Amino acid sequence: MSGRHPLASSTLRQRTADAVADDRLRGNVARAVDRFAGHRAIGLAELDDADGLRRAARAAKQDVLAQLPDLLERFADRVLALGGHVCWAATAADARRYVVDVVAAAGATRVAKSKSMATEEIDLNAALEGAGASVVETDLGEWIVQLAGETPSHIIAPALHKDRHQIKDLFVDAAAAPPGLDTEPVELVRFARRRLREVFLEAEVGVTGANLAVADTGSIVLVTNEGNGRLVTTLPRVHIAVLGMERLVADWRQADLMLALLARSATGQRLSSYTSVVTGPRLPGEADGPEELHVVVLDNGRSDLLAGEYHEMLGCIRCGACLNACPVYRQTGGHAYGWVYPGPMGAVLTPLLAGEDGAAEVANASTLCGACMDACPVQIPLQDLLLSLRRRKAEGAGTPERAAWRAWSAAWSDPRRYGATTRAATAGRRVAGLAGRLPVGRDWAAGRTVPRPAAERFRDRWRRGL
Amino acid sequence: MSGTEAGDRSAFLATARRRLAGGVSLNPVHPPPPPAGDAVPRPGYRNLDPHDLLGTFAAAVEHAGGTCHVAGDRVPDDLLDRVAREVGDRPVVTSGEPDARDLGGSLAARGATVEGASVAGAARAGLGVTGAAAAVAATGSLMLDSRAVGTRWASLLPPVHLCVVRVNVLVPAPADVLRGLGSGADALPSSMVLVTGPSRTGDIEQLLTLGAHGPTALHVVVLTGGPGRASTSGAAPRA
Repeated sequence: MSGRHPLASSTLRQRTADAVADDRLRGNVARAVDRFAGHRAIGLAELDDADGLRRAARAAKQDVLAQLPDLLERFADRVLALGGHVCWAATAADARRYVVDVVAAAGATRVAKSKSMATEEIDLNAALEGAGASVVETDLGEWIVQLAGETPSHIIAPALHKDRHQIKDLFVDAAAAPPGLDTEPVELVRFARRRLREVFLEAEVGVTGANLAVADTGSIVLVTNEGNGRLVTTLPRVHIAVLGMERLVADWRQADLMLALLARSATGQRLSSYTSVVTGPRLPGEADGPEELHVVVLDNGRSDLLAGEYHEMLGCIRCGACLNACPVYRQTGGHAYGWVYPGPMGAVLTPLLAGEDGAAEVANASTLCGACMDACPVQIPLQDLLLSLRRRKAEGAGTPERAAWRAWSAAWSDPRRYGATTRAATAGRRVAGLAGRLPVGRDWAAGRTVPRPAAERFRDRWRRGL
Repeated sequence: MSGTEAGDRSAFLATARRRLAGGVSLNPVHPPPPPAGDAVPRPGYRNLDPHDLLGTFAAAVEHAGGTCHVAGDRVPDDLLDRVAREVGDRPVVTSGEPDARDLGGSLAARGATVEGASVAGAARAGLGVTGAAAAVAATGSLMLDSRAVGTRWASLLPPVHLCVVRVNVLVPAPADVLRGLGSGADALPSSMVLVTGPSRTGDIEQLLTLGAHGPTALHVVVLTGGPGRASTSGAAPRA
């Protein structure tokens, strides 16, 4: 998994520097997030008391999380009664193994996928390919990053970092498009449509995620614009849905509330083009639809968050609004975050879920300005969670560093001792730059320009009458 | 016929229950609102005119990139002529709903090749015709139900989707369709979809491009007159 994601093999600082140095990337990202944010404002303004609905959505998610185990049982029992299969996957490896087994049992070699961050998280494609199946992403943006051998840089627009010229070149190089292919988006989309239509018609297994799951009826809700979600759940004989365990709502009233906010927060649409409700496999008497439905309920670290201070992060409905609002994401795009989930929601989820070296420092990829919570449709207090993650990381710092900070804190809490430290700094001005190279200052100095103390202290100049 | 279960349900849930046993710690800086319990507010829509559902619906269909025609008790001749011309010699597929089949018959009378929907037929077709189990004014959405034979293919694979809908299935808001799901005696269909405009993508420079994997164009005809046919929906729309 770490091979695909640069979390452990590079630092946040290196990745950020690379992203910020790429003017084309920054232009592509800024253009995209501005469009999204503008559409979102218009879409939400059409709701009566959008902020009241956001508060209600936050309350509803709290209710759901407090009774999640019961809701999961109710959901699973409904799915089973409908003739669907349920896999309880405690870890990513459990989920991968189950999906690979289902594909093998179906005698399938061709898998069509609809965009799903949960399957990115468990790195499902590599597992399926390792077992000899071909896997094709069918969301246009996701197909683009698959062809490029990259990972999504935005949770709802995976190829947002690429412009039309880069996409055309990619289609020519990696998908055998004619070199004369027009760079107009409509022509690029037409090419992808033709190519992917064959995939849909031939695939034996369709894999999706789930935007919501409704406990009362055992339904899975898939929200897509392109229609690939519908094709993937209609044409192949087997449908496998990978469901993060926190995606649940209790009933259709909660689902209605979430759907009113989801598309508007993501793209500004009143509803996405296709809001699909999948309830069990094909019924007797129905002419189409998959014969087998498998729902993989994924924990993979989520239950550890359930009751503690980070539990509200499990309310995230994956709309991407916090990415579009974030001044850091705007400059860096998604790959700098180093793992699956980018932006403020990713800066919280990565330290909590990634379980790799380098995960903790991703909480630093934020200015703590709070624009993310203002944009969040379920009002997750993202900046509070980020601050708390930083505190957690600091508490894990080495004893000398913590002692140094405690000493600093004590010194600057008293005017006389404060004066003594500035006098010492001025006297030692020539060697002050070394602070960043001492073991106790190294973490603090990384990413900062260590200031050089002035030759004369402000309070001395003040006493002289400036 | 019950499905099978893999993995260890009780261990999976025990982990979660253990975490929740001591209660949930609330965010002290931005405390969450009190538990909502049963009070989940119905979203209100500023573009919804409760006294003019049809007008609201037609505007919302257009807002989502579709076109909406309001007709009396049958699809008007000039629209049929135009559709038949646009389809040319490509086949037309229809779902099994009576209104869709009637419309298919009218197009056949104008020389079009009309088939019942199959995957292969729909993949070749120039036009797919369906009915709808419900229509939602505030969002301009059509609810398609997989129990109506061929709806999925006819509404998804051809480049143009024509949907005939009776005014008596028109409801104000998504809540009127969604909140009733599962409350009736009937099982839900294995697939239901709210269709809101044609297929689209913004994945290239976030520019709206219609016709990604589904239809490039969506035409809706609302029939306001004549006998309403019984809805095939499991979610009986509220009067």
